[in-house]
Amino acid sequence: MSDDARQRGRQLDAALAACAAGNPNGIDAILEMEGSQLLGVARRILIRHDLAEEALQDAMVQIWRKAAQQRQADGSARGWIYAVLRNRCLTILRDGRRLSSLSPDELTQLQDARQDLAADDDWKLLAGTGRLGDCLDALDDPARRAILLAHVAGYSHGEISARQGVPLGTAKSWIRRGLASLRECLS
Amino acid sequence: MTVFRDDLAGFADDYVMGLMSPAEADLFEALMQADPALAAQVARLRDQLLPLDLSAQALPLSPDFAARLRAIIATTPQEAPDRARPANLPQAPRRWLAGLAASLVLGVALGLGGASLRPAPAPQVVAVLLDDQGQPRAVIEDFGNDTAEIRFVADVDVPDGFSIQAWTLPSAEMGPRSLGVLDGPRAARLAGPDLPRPADAQLYEITLEPAGGSPTGRPTGPIIAKGLAAAQDI
Repeated sequence: MSDDARQRGRQLDAALAACAAGNPNGIDAILEMEGSQLLGVARRILIRHDLAEEALQDAMVQIWRKAAQQRQADGSARGWIYAVLRNRCLTILRDGRRLSSLSPDELTQLQDARQDLAADDDWKLLAGTGRLGDCLDALDDPARRAILLAHVAGYSHGEISARQGVPLGTAKSWIRRGLASLRECLS
Repeated sequence: MTVFRDDLAGFADDYVMGLMSPAEADLFEALMQADPALAAQVARLRDQLLPLDLSAQALPLSPDFAARLRAIIATTPQEAPDRARPANLPQAPRRWLAGLAASLVLGVALGLGGASLRPAPAPQVVAVLLDDQGQPRAVIEDFGNDTAEIRFVADVDVPDGFSIQAWTLPSAEMGPRSLGVLDGPRAARLAGPDLPRPADAQLYEITLEPAGGSPTGRPTGPIIAKGLAAAQDI
C-alpha cells in the first residue's frame, strides 16, 4: 500500500469516527475525500445523473446512521463506504417503481449503457494494473464477464443469464467459481 | 472446510457482489454480526474488488449537494453500536446460525427487509422464535410501548381457515397475552394490549389458531415456534 493510500485510510477512519461520535464534520470530510469518486461509481451504475446524486445522498445518510456500528476490524473504511453506495444504487436499480418514471427510450438507453460497461475489450481499464487485474486476466472469459457485469454494472443473476444467453444456474456457477478462483489468486 | 463453511463463503460472494435479494441480505447481515470470521471475509473481498469502483470516472458534485446533505443529517437519528446484534445467541448459537444459513440456502426469507416498517426507536427486547427442530421461524421485536414487530425468516404453512397468533408471557400470574393475529407469515406491526415492560428471557411464541384468532383468548392451537427474549441493552 502506498503512503498516500495509508494516509487516506487514516483520514477516512478519522472521518467515520467523527460520524460515529455524532459530529457532522465527518460527513463533510468523507464527501471532500470521496464524494466525486462515489458519484462517478453511482453514475456508472445508474447512468442518470439525478438518480446517481440521489443514491449518493441516500448512501451518505446511511453512513451517518450506521457509522457507530462499523467495526474497524471489518476491513477498510473506504471499502465499507463504497459498499454502502453500491447497495443504494442496486436498490434504486431493482426498484421497479423508481424506474417506472423513465420513458421506454430512457430505460432502453440505461440498459444499453450498462451493457457497454463490461464490453469485451475494455475490462482491463476497469481493473487497473494491480493484482486484481492480473487475477481477473487469469479467469476464463465467461466468468470474468459475469463478475464484471455484476460488480461494475449492477447486473442481477437473471440479467446476466439473459444477456449471456445461458440458464440461470450457469450464470450463478460462473460467478461462484470465478470468485473462488479470484480469491485464491488474490490471497 | 465444512459444507456449512463453503455455503457461507458463497453467500459472502453473493453479498459483496450485490446478488442477494434484500431479504437474503438482511439475513446475511445477521449472520455476519454473529460471526466475525464471516464479516472479515466479506471485508476482505470488498477491499480486493475496490479497484473496480475506483476505475469509474469521478464527477463533480452539485454546488449545493453538501449543504443539502447537512440539512438531512441534522434531523437523522443515529443507530447505537450494537443495535443489530442478534438475540438469543447465548441460548442456541450453533443451531440458530445453522438455521439462518439454511434459510438462505433454501432461499426462503419472508417478510424481511421491510425497512419502511421499521420505526426509529430501538426494541427493548428481541426474541428469535425457533420451531421444535431448533430452526428459526420468526423474529419478534418488542418496543415496550404496546407495539411489537414480527418478521418471518422461514415459511409457515397456514391451512385455510386458520390464522397465526403471536403471544407473550409477561409473568406466570398474568398468563399468555395475545400480541395480535396474522393471516399469514408476513412481516407485521403488532399493537398489543397494555402490558408491563418486556423483560429479558420473557417468553414469546406463535401458534396456529382458528381464523381470526383464538376463541378463548388463550393459545389453543399447536405452537409453531417459541423463543426467549434477549434484552437490548443500549
